[in-house]
Amino acid sequence: MPNLNVAVIIKLEPDFSEGNVSYNADGTLNRAETKSILGPHSAIACQAAFYARVKFGAKVSVGTMGPPNADAALAQAQLICDAEELHLYSDRTFAGADTLATAETLRAGIAKMDGKMDIVFSGHRASDGETGQTGPQTAWKLGFTFLGHVVSYDIDLERRVVRARRLISLQGVYDVIEEVEAPLPVFIAIDPSYKPSFDTVSQRLALEKYQKEAKERSADYKRHLKTFNAQQLQVDPKMVGLPGSPTIVYKVEKIPKAKASRKAEVIDGTNREQLHRVAAKIHEVLGGMVIK
Amino acid sequence: MKYEHLYVVIEHEEGEPVPVSLEMLGEARRLMDGYNKKYSANEKVVAIVLGSGVRAICDELVQYGADAVIYADSPELKYSRNLVDTKVISQIALDKSLVAKFADSSPDFVRPRYMFFAADSIGRQLSSTVMAQLDSGLASDINKLVIADLEIRHEHKTKGQQMVYERTLEMYRPDFSGFLWTTILCLDNRNPAIARDYHPQACSIIPGVFEPIERDTSRKGVIVDYSPTFDPDDLKVKVLSRTPVKSAVDYDSKKAVVSFGRGIKDAPEQNIKLMVDLAKELDAEVGVSLPISKKPYPVSEGISSSYMIPDRVIGTSGRKVMPLLYIAAGISGAMQHIAGMKESGFVIAINPDVESPIKDECDMFIKGRMEDVIPVLIEELRAIRPALEARR
Repeated sequence: MPNLNVAVIIKLEPDFSEGNVSYNADGTLNRAETKSILGPHSAIACQAAFYARVKFGAKVSVGTMGPPNADAALAQAQLICDAEELHLYSDRTFAGADTLATAETLRAGIAKMDGKMDIVFSGHRASDGETGQTGPQTAWKLGFTFLGHVVSYDIDLERRVVRARRLISLQGVYDVIEEVEAPLPVFIAIDPSYKPSFDTVSQRLALEKYQKEAKERSADYKRHLKTFNAQQLQVDPKMVGLPGSPTIVYKVEKIPKAKASRKAEVIDGTNREQLHRVAAKIHEVLGGMVIK
Repeated sequence: MKYEHLYVVIEHEEGEPVPVSLEMLGEARRLMDGYNKKYSANEKVVAIVLGSGVRAICDELVQYGADAVIYADSPELKYSRNLVDTKVISQIALDKSLVAKFADSSPDFVRPRYMFFAADSIGRQLSSTVMAQLDSGLASDINKLVIADLEIRHEHKTKGQQMVYERTLEMYRPDFSGFLWTTILCLDNRNPAIARDYHPQACSIIPGVFEPIERDTSRKGVIVDYSPTFDPDDLKVKVLSRTPVKSAVDYDSKKAVVSFGRGIKDAPEQNIKLMVDLAKELDAEVGVSLPISKKPYPVSEGISSSYMIPDRVIGTSGRKVMPLLYIAAGISGAMQHIAGMKESGFVIAINPDVESPIKDECDMFIKGRMEDVIPVLIEELRAIRPALEARR
């Protein structure tokens, strides 16, 4: 039996790859035409969970709130982190949820996972909503210590503490690398720059073993999938979906064109003489110096 | 009134307020000046500051627009830790006795009406957990705010009835495309089936979009000392070390920055190489616009890992740069990007579309595709170089 349980919460998101993303005439995202995938930040969270799988033999569970087709994202996640258990929280009652109401559903879902969780991972933020709120709010509702912007972590199993490095950007000041220690359980929002490293021979052997296992499991992912509706999650309907959402989207409009801040000289990009003038201007601006 | 005042959560580094804190205070002041005239002169701008040895910055916060400053000073608050900070800020927000120290005490006061946080590494997460604790809503990355009386008809909030919501904070956030605004409201449920109050109406504010007010050393305010009570469990995260780091991408020491955006799409790998060549020619650093950092283009691992990363994003989601020369190639000019480069000295844009917003933000607009323009531009730069060297 592994002595470490980790969970990952993920999100099915629009695929913003060129050619896949489609916009409506008013500039809003055309969700019907845009393919959905496992969000890139969710994928990084799965890598962080896989690190615990390889290094400590942790048992991994993955959960998501979403429509029935979000099971495809769970299968992709399973392939990355070799999850034993996949959870889909799907119910019309959850529709229209803002971050606080989503966090309530995820809290209830994590409570249904097999085993008491030691670490829950989430991505830094979703690529569509981009609020970065759901992770910390889920952590708070779980009563877990929240550690955000984590670029690397390790666990002292004996002392049951996690030691993490965080990258904090204070705009207009400087960046700070902070090293923190916190007792388990913790909730970790993983920074986009996270890169797991597997340094020892035994880790690399475990890596191969679990990757192979992940492939096998993911090929038959439905066997590991459990779907929960609101009743099965035992959530209070007042706390989820629209009723549990303090915020609403009131309107969507085009940002009015700002007053021009500069008066541009238009240069014909096919005219070499004009580009020569641009080059001369560049040298002038940079102090007329050859900077090399 | 159950809900009163606008609370602003201040961030500081080693006792110096970070710029966004003063920007938030400025916007809070402007909003509350209007509010005071229209609704109530009793409601205040209240700054909250946590830390160790922070009494010294309270006067400065008054001079930048706060009517009152509530500060909590403790060695336990020296560095920001989400858990303990969330608890202390929530305690302050719910403490009626503190309000009596700076305003005509309202016997009905329950919690703040509005609350502002910074949309940076600390504030974005702190705002999430504080609002989870206070069981209210939060809008993130806001760049425009309006207080108005709104008529709302909502399937759930009003059960389909038209109702007036007074003193509502309209919170505008730029959509990920950068050309749309979504207005978020935080509204109580007036639906008789599930009536619930959601206050404070709170948001996190993008650094760099609002101006601080001019510092006025004669401004007077009330400074309130708050002594938090700590549960030992709330102190369980230990900060072992803190090291300021220079970003791996160094924009500050470069005279020029060359950035690319979605215009690389026709031949991403080749176009990124072109940008790198141009950067080498000018000894410039390479920047990107936000969509690029989402890795939307299928390029090789080597390129994606070093150039299409969040560290290089210029704009509200990334860095602000002010080089002597800024070149934007294949960037249309979403407001998020403009905010990050508008203070550059001389700006050149390369874009086939003369209607793109970047045209209003540059000094020279080269109409053309980057793959056609940049190779010629590099040749011309090289052609001029010997003449300059000879002159020296």
